[in-house]
Formats: sequence, structure tokens, C-alpha cells
Amino acid sequence: MTTQTQAIATRIQKAEMRRPARVALLVLNYVGPLVALILLWQWGTTVAENKFFPPPFTIVENAQRLFFSGDASTLFLTPAITVDTAATLYRLLVGFAVGSAFGILVGMAIGRSIVVRDLTNPIVEFLRSIPATATLPLFIILLGGDDAMRIAFIAYGVSWFVIINTAAGVSSVHKTQIEMGQIFKVSPAGVLFRIVLPAALPKIFAGLRIAVTAALLLAIVSEFTLATNGIGYQLVIAQATFALRTMWTWMLLLAVLGLVLNLLLELIEHLTLKWDRLSRIAG
Amino acid sequence: MTTTAPPAAPPQPSAPAPRRRARTARPKTRSIVLGVAGILGLAIIIEIVSRLGIVSEVYLPHFSSVIAQMVLIFGDTGFLYDLWVTLLTWFIGLTLSTIVAVPVGILLGLSPVTYRGARAPIELVRTMPAVALIPLVMLALGQTLEMQIVIAMYAAVWPILFNTMYGVRGVDPKAKDMARVFGVSRAGVIGRVVIPSAGPFVATGIRISSSIVLIVVITIGILAGGSDGLGAYIAEQRAIGLASAIVKMYAAILVTGLLGLAINSILGWAERRWLGWDSTTRNDA
Repeated sequence: MTTQTQAIATRIQKAEMRRPARVALLVLNYVGPLVALILLWQWGTTVAENKFFPPPFTIVENAQRLFFSGDASTLFLTPAITVDTAATLYRLLVGFAVGSAFGILVGMAIGRSIVVRDLTNPIVEFLRSIPATATLPLFIILLGGDDAMRIAFIAYGVSWFVIINTAAGVSSVHKTQIEMGQIFKVSPAGVLFRIVLPAALPKIFAGLRIAVTAALLLAIVSEFTLATNGIGYQLVIAQATFALRTMWTWMLLLAVLGLVLNLLLELIEHLTLKWDRLSRIAG
Repeated sequence: MTTTAPPAAPPQPSAPAPRRRARTARPKTRSIVLGVAGILGLAIIIEIVSRLGIVSEVYLPHFSSVIAQMVLIFGDTGFLYDLWVTLLTWFIGLTLSTIVAVPVGILLGLSPVTYRGARAPIELVRTMPAVALIPLVMLALGQTLEMQIVIAMYAAVWPILFNTMYGVRGVDPKAKDMARVFGVSRAGVIGRVVIPSAGPFVATGIRISSSIVLIVVITIGILAGGSDGLGAYIAEQRAIGLASAIVKMYAAILVTGLLGLAINSILGWAERRWLGWDSTTRNDA
């Protein structure tokens, strides 16, 4: 009770805070520590020189050369972006989309029916305990070494997070909500897509956020072997040629990609779930 | 998985418990029967598919022979050695991650300033997938146990660190004040109030990281080959490519699933066994 009132009070306080104060808080909590960390890193790597740890400014300089020194016809982007990064993103996004769609469908079936849940529970628990990366050789054997294998591998690995979260979200939908829909003669499909699915969305998005991070990881893993392009492939090439600075530059790009993908998903979630947040504040 | 942070709610110890147990008894046997039926059903489907010959028998061996191989494989000393190496690496990686992350998490969680300040850099650093470190760390340390442990730690430190910070941050300030009033020293407050009440959060972090370490260790084996461990065993069998090796590959992949399941249930059990008081006491509030 008291914590609730406190929470509401801080929320009101935050909303009323004037803009300069909010900016100051943002700088204090996020930008400040980040700048401090980067400066410390720069200082450390220049003082104690080590070929395995290039200074961050050198990495950023190298990133400019590696990624943005291309031809004007390709908007100054180099093949590192237009070929390798694009290939990785393509595999990642298609795999993520296929795996998520499959995961939502299966998760809904599991969440809606106790029989299906009981039937599949041991299988799901066992299969998701297998590290997805351990199945890569299996995918290579069954599907060969091209993009179809990579996309199937990413989709497979991603789907578990979505299945589990969708099933949990769907099974926790309040029974009265569904019955209310049935009383108002909403069709079974309508109940599924207009009542159950929206109510499960917050949980589904939680699964999708884990899934997109996993998709990036799986995409890179899949490119370590048998690939001819992609970020994972470039990392292996850089390793083989002892190009440490290039390796760090690709790693920087990966960190940025991970961050951007997460932010994008959070933005989609924010736009999709506006009603959910409003109802929570009111309730 | 990672989203379901707190352990499942324990049964309520209130009066109507025995009656409820009697009522839930039947659905429980039903769910076991259905679960077994599901496994058998899937096994039969896979067996039929593998016998139809859509995919060459070399690449998709009969399911029954894979299951038989899962038993036989434990007589293979090479496999047992790889299994042992994986378990050892897993144990060292998880232990070291805990030793590093828990004290740092407590320090960062104790003050609101460090708690807020630490979040942004940590979020940024951990967005880079651990597997991207494999090429770099392999160049620096070679195909060694240390290489595997360093990468595993990079991946496993964050969940423990975050959960510890979060747990320490959420300690009831009244409990801390109370201890201070009773003359407990500052260190005593940390040792006797903060750490015990953050314990369940730390345990959840360790359980999440235990799966992560296993995944990373097996992934390194698959990608780096050559080195020892279950991942390397799986990659080797694929590289050999003979029918007998492919069956072993399938069996070893299934064994990693059993391993993951075993690790998760042992840690989950330990959590309920020693920290079960947590959710019950908190529900009363």
C-alpha cells in the first residue's frame, strides 16, 4: 500500500520535473558514467600498450575507414556494410521473423489448451535445454551450408524464448475476459486474436526482446563456419590475419547493432502497448 | 527463461492445503500420462520420418538407434573425457563469475548513486554477444581452458551482477535502520541484513548464469573445434561424417540437453531447499 502510493508519488514527481532538471539527471545517470568509462579505457590502453587492446579512439577511427569510406554511389558505405552487415541483418531478421511467428503460434496452442500443454511440456523442457548452438552441426548436415540453413538455425534457436513467453502470457489471460467475449458472441478466432493475443502481448514482447538478442548471437555463430560473407565471417578472417584492430571494430559494430535492435523492439513495444501502460497507471 | 526471474511461488502453508492437494492429485497423474504420451508420440513420428527415407539414413539416422547410442556413448572413454572437461569448465566458469560478480554487485547496489551510474555502462558492454569475443580471446590465449573460462565469464557475470545489485537495492531500509538502532556495525548490517535478504536474487542470477556458461562452453567447442569438451566432440563427429559418427553426433546433442536439464533442476532444487523461506515471508507483507 505505502509502496504503491510512493510509486505514484515518484511518478508524479518525475512528470512535474522541469526539463533542464530531467536533462541533468539523464547526463548524471547515463552519459556521465559512459564518458568516464570510455576515457578510462582510452587512458588505460595508451599507458599500458597492448596489441590485443587497442585504444577506443583508434577503434572508432578504424570504424570510419572500414565502414564509411566507400564510393559516393553507395552513399559512402563500404562493402563491409553493404555486403557483410547487410547479409547478417538479412539472416537475422528473416530468422527472427520466422522463429517468432512459429513461436507465437505454438505458444498460443500450448497456452490455450491444458491438454496440449501437458502433451508438450516434457518435450519443450528437454529441447530448450539443449544449447541452440549445439544443434548447428545438425542443421549443417541436414540443410547444407547456405543461407537457408542459417535462417532455419536462427529461427529454431529464437523460437524457444517466444514459445515459453507466449504460452505463459496466454495461459495467464483472465478467464472472465474470454467468457465476456463469448457472451458478446465474438467468434472463436475473434476471441483468440482480439482478446487473448492482446492480453498476452506484454509477455510476448518480453520473449521477443530476449529473442532478438539471441538472433544476433546465433547469426554470428552460424557465420563462423562455411560462410562467404557476414559479420561472423569477417571476424574469423580478421582472426586468421591477426587484424586485431579490425576485429575490435567489428565487435564495436556488433555492440551498436545489439543496442539498436533492442531499442527498435522497445520502440515497437512502446507503440503497441500504450493501452497496457495506461491501464496499469490507472489501476 | 530469463524473464521469469523469481522462483515459482511455493504452496501456501495455510489451513486448506491438504484439501487442495487431494484435489490436484488427479490432474497431476493426468499430466504425467499425457507428458509420456507426448514423448512417445513424437518418438514414433520421428522414427517413421527417419525410416521413410526422405532424408538419407546417414544424415538422419533412425531415432531408435540414436536413443540406443545415447546409452552406448557412455562406454566411450573419449566421450566421457569430453563430458568431464565440459563439466569442469562449467564449474570453474560459474564459480569464478560468482566470486567476481557478487561482491561488485553488493558494492554497486549499496548506494543509489553507484547503482544508477553503473547501469548504462553495463548495459552497453553486455550488448556485445560473448561469441564475438571468441576470435579475439583465442588469439590472445590460444585453445586453452583459460580461453573458454574468460569467454564464459564475460557472458555469465552480468546476470549475477544485475540480480545482486537489484537484490541489494531492494533491501527493506527499515530492516537496515532497525539493525543500526540495535548497535550493529556497518559491516554487520551488510553481513546480517543486506546479504541474507539479497540472497534469493543472487541465487536466481547464478541459476540463469549456470545455463549461460554451459551454452558458451559448448558453443566454443563447436566453433573452435580441436579443443576438448562436448561441443568439440559434436563438431568432430560431424567432421568425420560417417554414418556411425553422425549417430554419435545426434546422441551427444541430446546428452547436452540432459546436462542442461540436470544443471537447471539441481540449482532450482537447491534454491527452493535453502532459500525457500524468501517468497513465503515476502507474501505476508
